[in-house]
Amino acid sequence: MTAFFIRRIFQMILVVLVSAVATYALLNLAPGGPLAGLRQQQQSARFQITEEDIARIRAYFELDLFLPYRFTRWLIGVPTGPVVIGGNEYFSDLVVGCRKPIESDILNAETGNYEIVITGCKEDVFMKDLVGRRSSRGILLGDFGLSWRILRDRPVSDLLLSRLSKTLQLIGLSTLLSLLIGVPLGVYSAVRQYSRFDYIFTSLAFMGSAMPTFFFGLLMIILFSLVPKEAGWPYVPSGLSESVRDYTIPIIGAVEAGSFKDRSLHILLPTAVLTIVNISFYSRFVRASMLEVMRQDYVRTARAKGLGERVVILKHALRNALIPFITIVVFTLPGLFSGALITESIFAWPGMGRLYLLALGDFDYPVAMAIFFILAILTVIATLMRDFLYTIADPRIRLS
Amino acid sequence: MSAAQVASLSPEAVTIEERSPFQIVMTRFRRHRLAMVSLVVMTVIFIITILAPVIAPFEVQELSVNKYFVEWGTVDEETQRVHYLGTDQIGRDYFSRLIYAGRISLTIAIVSVIISELVGIIVGAVSGFFGGWIDSVLMRFVEFMLTIPLLPLLLIISSMLLRNEELIPIPEPVLNFMGNLLLLTPRDARNAVLIILILAGFGWLNAAQLMRGMVLSLREQTFVEASRSLGASNYRIIMRDMIPNAMAPIIVDGSLGLAGFVVLEAALAFLGFGIQDPIPTWGNMLAASQEFMLDRPWLPLVPGLPIFLCSLAFNYIGDGLRDALDPRLKL
Repeated sequence: MTAFFIRRIFQMILVVLVSAVATYALLNLAPGGPLAGLRQQQQSARFQITEEDIARIRAYFELDLFLPYRFTRWLIGVPTGPVVIGGNEYFSDLVVGCRKPIESDILNAETGNYEIVITGCKEDVFMKDLVGRRSSRGILLGDFGLSWRILRDRPVSDLLLSRLSKTLQLIGLSTLLSLLIGVPLGVYSAVRQYSRFDYIFTSLAFMGSAMPTFFFGLLMIILFSLVPKEAGWPYVPSGLSESVRDYTIPIIGAVEAGSFKDRSLHILLPTAVLTIVNISFYSRFVRASMLEVMRQDYVRTARAKGLGERVVILKHALRNALIPFITIVVFTLPGLFSGALITESIFAWPGMGRLYLLALGDFDYPVAMAIFFILAILTVIATLMRDFLYTIADPRIRLS
Repeated sequence: MSAAQVASLSPEAVTIEERSPFQIVMTRFRRHRLAMVSLVVMTVIFIITILAPVIAPFEVQELSVNKYFVEWGTVDEETQRVHYLGTDQIGRDYFSRLIYAGRISLTIAIVSVIISELVGIIVGAVSGFFGGWIDSVLMRFVEFMLTIPLLPLLLIISSMLLRNEELIPIPEPVLNFMGNLLLLTPRDARNAVLIILILAGFGWLNAAQLMRGMVLSLREQTFVEASRSLGASNYRIIMRDMIPNAMAPIIVDGSLGLAGFVVLEAALAFLGFGIQDPIPTWGNMLAASQEFMLDRPWLPLVPGLPIFLCSLAFNYIGDGLRDALDPRLKL
């Protein structure tokens, strides 16, 4: 058992490192990036951008360093300068990057287009130049660096924290609700298999799981926000997590911007979308697993020895049926963080998911990488937790 | 009943009409009413999208100047063509774009499913058949990939690939072929091919796991042993014994995969990381309609309903196929 977890923890570290390298490579190996628009500006007559400006901007984004150095600086915050051992500086003349690359237009024989190719370097960056450069302590030590675009020069962690509570509210509420509603629905539907309730419920759940979230979200906005508003009925505000100015809703009355009432009205629709989607997912799973358990010998034994139906279902069947369900619930943990990307984007909910989309669309790589990295860690933790909870829920399972 | 009595019975009484496995499956599939309805609906949608150039009254990119958001059913005075569903924000015919978009969205889903099932079959069969370190390396990799949250990863990859389209070299014939299939220029088809690669790149994982499981159980069967004792090569055993016998879950996975890919492709386009605007897809049409839904609340239904319909229909077909092929299958 202990050996298993030690081995798993080593695996976890490996997985996290691999995913860090992979995301970093993905975002940084590709050409373009934050300097994409700069070249066009360089050619325009009004804003002359000199070579020196470009070098400065490249240094700002650390694009002047070679990829391995950039990566280790991002991951663990080294190198920050020459290695000092006993007063002597080592590696201070090591070339770690290129400040001003020589770019030449080369005719590509195949496509017939001119391509910009880096052919050499006018000015190298040496290890000693890194002294005094600002640097993060490394993402592994909890420093996510500075944001490039969304909140320029502010720590990424500030940005994440400001969005975290919104996502937690939304996902926490909807997960709680969908568990509270979905599990009993699934159980009831399984117990009353082939009844009218079961039939209607399974068809609804089937449709719910086939419904794309983005379309469902838009439908909800149309049905509960736009149409009633036009008709002068009470409506639910859609978009953002609170409104900017006060407004009045028929019957409900005046709502002050930023008040509790305002915020609860705004959270209503996104929560409903996430909850309904989750319910159809959870309850289908619980129903299937319940049906399987109900066929087992021990359930028949429990009935045979005269236990009440209630006890049989809740104690003997449900507890066993919920074991595979643990897997699904535990994996809401990373889901909590990535924050139902689509739902947040439809409802303009200022949470993590929207931040992630914004960061990817806006070339704010430190933010995107931080979110993905945290996501990878959470996923790995969820995997470990699943294995651990399995052994607690079902002592028959031995880990080895 | 003694042997003599059986022998005295007429042949009609003891034998039933011979039916091929395919006929048995079809009979069982027909019993799933919703799956049959879905099959009909999808066939109709397929025919419409295949005949897109014939049916569509307007060209995909054709602009009707000064006719933005005209009512549905408006007739174009000059050419007498009808805007069946009206026009969009820059005067392009909605109906024509919708069926061209269907052609693109469905083709992407189908090609992605074919590629991912093929890759899954090969990887799963190799992994299950040979076992050992090949198996553990491949399966650890698959498990690892399956734990990563799919959408965030897809978003990173597609945002990178779509911004640097030339990053992955795609052979010219493939682009031309896809261009002809999707009625796009080879240049625009590159976009679609990249999305297919991205979708298929993550779609094969499930199929590989299924295939491996099937191969592991088939490996112990007597007919495989018989093949081997007759001197069949590994290749022959995999191709003739393993893969045909493991097709049931793969077929079901494929039809459910179609639903998944239609939705996923639409989701990527909806979030702005899929196929971009001048090329119509249901996803980016939905995203565009979102901007104007304050004034035209019913607009998102036009591109949204086909997505939902296809997703639902493919799910029902998958459900029906599972019931017909192997009701015990869990997918």
